[in-house]
Amino acid sequence: MANKINLEMSAVENREMRLGTIVGWDGKASDLIEESKYLERSQKKHGQRQPGICGTKSYCKLCELNSPLNQQTMCANAIVECQIGNITDCILIQHAPIGCSADQPWFNLAFNMGLGRRNKPPQNLKIYSTNLLESDMVFGASDRLRQTCRDVFEREHPKAIFISMACATAIIGEDIDSVADEMEAELGIPVVPLHCEGFRSKHWSTGFDISQHGVVRQIVKKNPKKQNDLLNIVALWGTDYFTPMLKPLGLRVNYMIDMASFDELAQASEAVATATFCNTLGSYMATALEEHFGVPQVDAPQPYGFKGTDEWLRAIAKIVGKVEETEAYIQAEHARVLPRVQELREKFKGISGFIMTGSAYAHGLITVLKELGIDVDGSIIFHHDPVYDGAGEHQNTLKELVDTYGDVKYYTVSKTEAYQLTNIFRRIKKPDFVIIRHQGLAPEAAKLGIPALAMGDEHIPVGYDGMIRTGEILLDIIARKKFNLVLQRHVSVPYTDWWVNQEDPFLLSHSPDALDEVVPVKERSIYDFEQEGA
Amino acid sequence: MAVKKKKGGSIVHPHYACAVGAAYSVAAIKGGVPIANCGPGCMYKQFFFLSFDNGFQGSAGAGGGNIPSANVGENDIVFGGAQKLDDLIKASLGVVKGDLFVVLTGCSGELVGDDVGAVVRKYQENGYPVVFADTGGFRGTNLNGHEIVVEAIIDQFVGDYHGPKKKGLVNLWFETPYFNMNWRGDYLEIVRILRSAGFEVNVLFGPESGGVEEWKSIPKAQFNLVLSTWNGLKIAKHLKKKYNQPYLHIPVIPIGEEATTAFIRQIVEYAGIDKAKSEAFIADEAKIYYYFLEHFSDFFSEYWFGLPAKFATIGNSTDNVALTKFLADQIGLIPVKQIITDNPPDKYRDDIRELYHNLSEDVSVEVEFIEDGYLVEESLKQAEFGTSVPLILGSTWEVDIAREMNALLIEIGAPTTESVVINRSYIGYRGALTLLERIYSATVGGK
Repeated sequence: MANKINLEMSAVENREMRLGTIVGWDGKASDLIEESKYLERSQKKHGQRQPGICGTKSYCKLCELNSPLNQQTMCANAIVECQIGNITDCILIQHAPIGCSADQPWFNLAFNMGLGRRNKPPQNLKIYSTNLLESDMVFGASDRLRQTCRDVFEREHPKAIFISMACATAIIGEDIDSVADEMEAELGIPVVPLHCEGFRSKHWSTGFDISQHGVVRQIVKKNPKKQNDLLNIVALWGTDYFTPMLKPLGLRVNYMIDMASFDELAQASEAVATATFCNTLGSYMATALEEHFGVPQVDAPQPYGFKGTDEWLRAIAKIVGKVEETEAYIQAEHARVLPRVQELREKFKGISGFIMTGSAYAHGLITVLKELGIDVDGSIIFHHDPVYDGAGEHQNTLKELVDTYGDVKYYTVSKTEAYQLTNIFRRIKKPDFVIIRHQGLAPEAAKLGIPALAMGDEHIPVGYDGMIRTGEILLDIIARKKFNLVLQRHVSVPYTDWWVNQEDPFLLSHSPDALDEVVPVKERSIYDFEQEGA
Repeated sequence: MAVKKKKGGSIVHPHYACAVGAAYSVAAIKGGVPIANCGPGCMYKQFFFLSFDNGFQGSAGAGGGNIPSANVGENDIVFGGAQKLDDLIKASLGVVKGDLFVVLTGCSGELVGDDVGAVVRKYQENGYPVVFADTGGFRGTNLNGHEIVVEAIIDQFVGDYHGPKKKGLVNLWFETPYFNMNWRGDYLEIVRILRSAGFEVNVLFGPESGGVEEWKSIPKAQFNLVLSTWNGLKIAKHLKKKYNQPYLHIPVIPIGEEATTAFIRQIVEYAGIDKAKSEAFIADEAKIYYYFLEHFSDFFSEYWFGLPAKFATIGNSTDNVALTKFLADQIGLIPVKQIITDNPPDKYRDDIRELYHNLSEDVSVEVEFIEDGYLVEESLKQAEFGTSVPLILGSTWEVDIAREMNALLIEIGAPTTESVVINRSYIGYRGALTLLERIYSATVGGK
């Protein structure tokens, strides 16, 4: 294989380099599929490079829209907090000034919700910050990091320590690899460096890969004993709907990484296979486990809607040798859920929805909306990965979506850019609701009269029952529109009239000069300075 | 042991954000637009600490998801980010509604050393209301950042002034916006009190403020009122130097009738304005306050099933001392563990200690200064709460220790994820009653 994940290295090549990930694009989903060249990229990943086809960089490169105006987003460092910081018996140390820790209460909330959903006792997350100040920027801070490792070891008795890099520590050149090696030898537990400084990647999802890389590299068992009934599910904080789904196949679920313990992570190499609810999240880990420990990854569409769930189950059934039982199970499940899905379809006639989430998960959500008979004219997808690390034949999630359920006319790839919402909603039939993950967009949609389903329990739409769960929750959310209409009548958006009246949400990318008229700026020339001098 | 553990200087369960969190001081100004010259993630993180996970406050105008951000990337680190910042400022001026744009430079921009001033000056020279401030996270807490940003606005936007001062006009330097989850309600109450007492107020932050025009009139005020243990003193000292404007420092925010009345009399005396209006207001408010307190007294005297007697306070110095003083002096609860978490500058610490030595006629406690959540919990475990239910006024982080100690936890400081705050105040005349409602509803089993 040409591009095997390299566990010798502590750092991960970022997504834009590894997968060709982009964060700005606007058009029809079918065009993006075309431009993404999944097949060629997949062949290249599998070492079947076709000379002259995908050999040249320019051919493979997706055109990306760059905007001069960006708004606050997440970063890879934050993702590492929400992954590694949510392991129950390991400690994450953020080698950083204190501000990098400011989102901890949010992940603490998610952690405790997650612990409840997985029947584990509540506990505060414990993420330590080296709390760096100005003098540390000048003189270096490795001693503070060493001392923090020792303090953490003495206080918390963790099974492993992870160290995360921040923008500040990366710029001043802190060598967390050396400190990690040194501390691992001194403390006798794994000490894992994570190179997740925020500036490293233009998309936060690289942080998932970095977290998973650290776990596979230093936590999972190197000499696994196969557990033939254990299936890895790379997940976040979702309710355990996978156990009932997989029980008929005789499988136990090993969830990674949030709320897992050290031992649960360590046994990942012993599982019979790895699957996920979202390829954006899970593909790196699944691929690393496959390449280095022979744990196969499930090469199937994601488990959303009837067809996706069918094929996902069949792929797993094939791996564990339960093909016949699974066919019977699938048929029984269809018969069980179809009547309620049909009732919901009646209720959703004429309703349209809009998704604002990460990439592969959005494809799953749109699938579920389409199954429920809800129109989806547009969506905002926070990034686009033209291929995933697994690069499996059946893992092209966007193509799967469009082939099965039809095109998405306005498929917008854009990171949490709230300023584009008015323009985006104007060119489609205004949706009756949005489904969101990540912070920043729903409050602006709210002012435009649109209620949001904040999909905090990301497993809600998964599987056959996921269609029913999602449909029932959406009915509750649509009722909230009354609140949004009040808001719309009385609260204005924080954008200028000039901008709000633009048709093109990407005007600033397509015609950067447009700003010259509304914000004229006279550059000072040398002549001006001379005039002043005289 | 504790000394050894402190050596690393590390922090778990932080009780403050970093300097760039002052973006939320800008967002608290009507028409204020923060422009974050930071890495991706910085504004996201600050939002959660200061707003969302602090009483789920949310934001208005250009806060929250609307904050323009450079999202400094690897190229900007290697090749410099000045051009990107220039483009961002221009686009922000065109797209985001605002009267004052404040560029806050975070760790990346500061360490790389881009000449932010040169970029911003171009816009200033073209007449755009843009200022810049160095707020790298390594410069300290969001409270430090607040002072840095306010001074930048004063120097670069408010500018010079040599005209007369206006008697009875006061600049209010009060709670740091967003950091105290009740700040919006507290501002309403303190401004109501000041106006009713006969003052004109430059409120500066929040819904009662007149926006950037009000900021322009800062130099015209008769004096600056610093109503905080230390945060804001630096601003007042700067204004004294810049505009020859005196300041009155009252370190304890008044809670309850007696303290609020004394507060009003002190500032009216200081300003030398007419007392008739303020005394009439005091009389009205006192009547109302004690009408309610008389009712409350039935519960307080006759509740058969036990009430908490001893309490701990964990939080920033300003809120901590105000709450502790009210409960100790006016309600008769016994302070047993007071921990200050906002890292006040060393030079102010003795003054703050002294405040705790004089909580009430016969109540004096030794306050502790601790920033690390682990050490906070270790210290809390040492507190002697006796036989009644321990009452802990703290943050969400104290939930584990409260569970362990079977204590009643009332969230009074950041971060707070078990309360939704819209318009609430615990200060002044009216807020004191709300505070009692909050504590005693929890005591009788409500949430």
